[in-house]
Amino acid sequence: MSSTENLITSIQGLSASSGDLSALHRILKGAEETLRADSDLQLSTLDQLDPSKHSLGYLYLLDVLTCGGPMSKEKASEVVLLIARFITSCDAEQIRLASDKFVSLCKGFKDRVLELEDPLRGVAPLLSAVRKVQVSTKRLTALHPDCLQLCLQAKCYKAGFSILSDDILEVDQPRDFYLYCYYGGMICIGQKKFQKALELLYNVVTAPMHSVNAIALEAYKKYVLVTLIHSGQFSVSLPKCASTAAQRHLKTWSIPYTEVGNCYNEGKISELQAVVVAHSSDFEKDNNLGLVKQAVSSLYKRNILRLTQKYLTLSLQDIANMVQLANAKEAEMHVLQMIQDGQIHALINQKDGMVRFLEDPEQYKTSEMIEVMDSVIQRTIGLSKNLIAMDESLSCDPLYLGKVGRERQRYDFGEDFDTVPQKFSM
Amino acid sequence: MCFSYYLGLRQKSEEFKASCLPPFQVTSEGISFHDDWPYAIHLLGHLYVDDCDSARFLWKTIPSSVKESKPEVVAAWRIGQKLLTRDYAGVYEAIRGYDWSQETKDMVAAFSDVYRKRMFQLLMSAYSTITIRDLALFLGMTEDDATTYVVKNGWIVDTASQMVTVKKQAVKRGQKVDSSKLQRLAEDVFHLEH
Repeated sequence: MSSTENLITSIQGLSASSGDLSALHRILKGAEETLRADSDLQLSTLDQLDPSKHSLGYLYLLDVLTCGGPMSKEKASEVVLLIARFITSCDAEQIRLASDKFVSLCKGFKDRVLELEDPLRGVAPLLSAVRKVQVSTKRLTALHPDCLQLCLQAKCYKAGFSILSDDILEVDQPRDFYLYCYYGGMICIGQKKFQKALELLYNVVTAPMHSVNAIALEAYKKYVLVTLIHSGQFSVSLPKCASTAAQRHLKTWSIPYTEVGNCYNEGKISELQAVVVAHSSDFEKDNNLGLVKQAVSSLYKRNILRLTQKYLTLSLQDIANMVQLANAKEAEMHVLQMIQDGQIHALINQKDGMVRFLEDPEQYKTSEMIEVMDSVIQRTIGLSKNLIAMDESLSCDPLYLGKVGRERQRYDFGEDFDTVPQKFSM
Repeated sequence: MCFSYYLGLRQKSEEFKASCLPPFQVTSEGISFHDDWPYAIHLLGHLYVDDCDSARFLWKTIPSSVKESKPEVVAAWRIGQKLLTRDYAGVYEAIRGYDWSQETKDMVAAFSDVYRKRMFQLLMSAYSTITIRDLALFLGMTEDDATTYVVKNGWIVDTASQMVTVKKQAVKRGQKVDSSKLQRLAEDVFHLEH
């Protein structure tokens, strides 16, 4: 029997229990080189295996067969179908034993799907791949950004949003995290969930980095625009927790955006529109023109919102004058849209041409509101438990204690405190 | 897969949302499907549940060959465009401006119905008085039909000034809280204080 046939038999025989699987894994790792060299190995060989029972073996063979260079459209289509079926039916326990290989198989799958210019085919398989390779919902995998990228290309924003709902607490590779937050931010922008988009983009902008990278720069540009849409206030200085590299350099590379931000703070629509027109080629190059336009139209809403804080009633003509709208009818439409979106509470009186601004009728007494409060409190409790656990593990970390020991020499509190040893021998 | 759409059509209710198969669930096998997919109904389904953003993204993914060969898909999208630009009266024009096929007629009628009810709710929450002319535009009816419709709901019509006074409907929201929820809230407060 050839070595490949031997291998097939081993796979079929050793895929049942976890002890057998570790033995199988060693055999597979050893046989990888011979498999790659075997020119007789065909896609049809895989028919002898069941992807759900022999997932580990199937994974190794599939990886060898599909990792080759460019292939014809028909072959690529066939390969894509085969990998999609494997991902959907494979056993999560088995593939987690060789998670690196599974991740590289999925990344190759994503590249093929993009080459075929049909990203929709890859969305469902990658969504299921993320869930299978993930050890816990708090851990970011290398597949998260690839999945989000496909969702963006295929315009399946709802699908992408479903994997953003987990709170990520553990990250292996910074680049995965930057991309996850950046793509995630774009998906939230698409779904008009600006609060969540802001959180994700904030994470990229304030992430630790020695030098500014392209992902952080693009994220900063969108961060500026989403801040304007969501909270209406722009500040040129970054939050204190951002790295010094980010604080120094992000602004210099995104001047059109900071100009829009500063102009927005002034509150004059015509000036803002002039700035946008002046830099429109930059915005178009960055694919941000749509977002910029949303920011401009949010200024009308911001200005009307300011009026609700000063006046109880106002005529539609006055609103039009104060907010630089063409006429009372346009003002009425803007106010109506804001009422429809729940941004203000008001009553339009067409008889007198007046608007009366009202208080928020929510009294937080209903059972739905109690459900909402309960879930928010539960999430906060969960996060604070995680934070306490992280704090405890950090205070036992040798590197941290070493640094604290060095710092403490400076503050001499007398003989009462033992000095912390600078090095720990383990 | 198309069958579930026709079933949804007959149900004409929120259950359509559940039976609406997004294309990617069908393509979990990685197969291409664009020519046979009932895009017009899919677009209308998104509009029915007031999800204009999903309709917009769906429109972007439809291949141009389908857009050119199926004018009904373009007509369905026109309704979506009117909704996105908040051309409240234009929506009704877009609905009336096309001769819908047998398969889509029911879906369009269901959407028109639900949209009119949404507009009525909006008028009730946003206006204290409104002209009869605007009322007719918002509800997509003639002025006489519109006034009859609102009078049934207790609104007051003044033909002399061509004005209608809106009558608010009190919204009943459940305030009964059972003991398990109170127990949970008590536990939450305990955690927060310690």
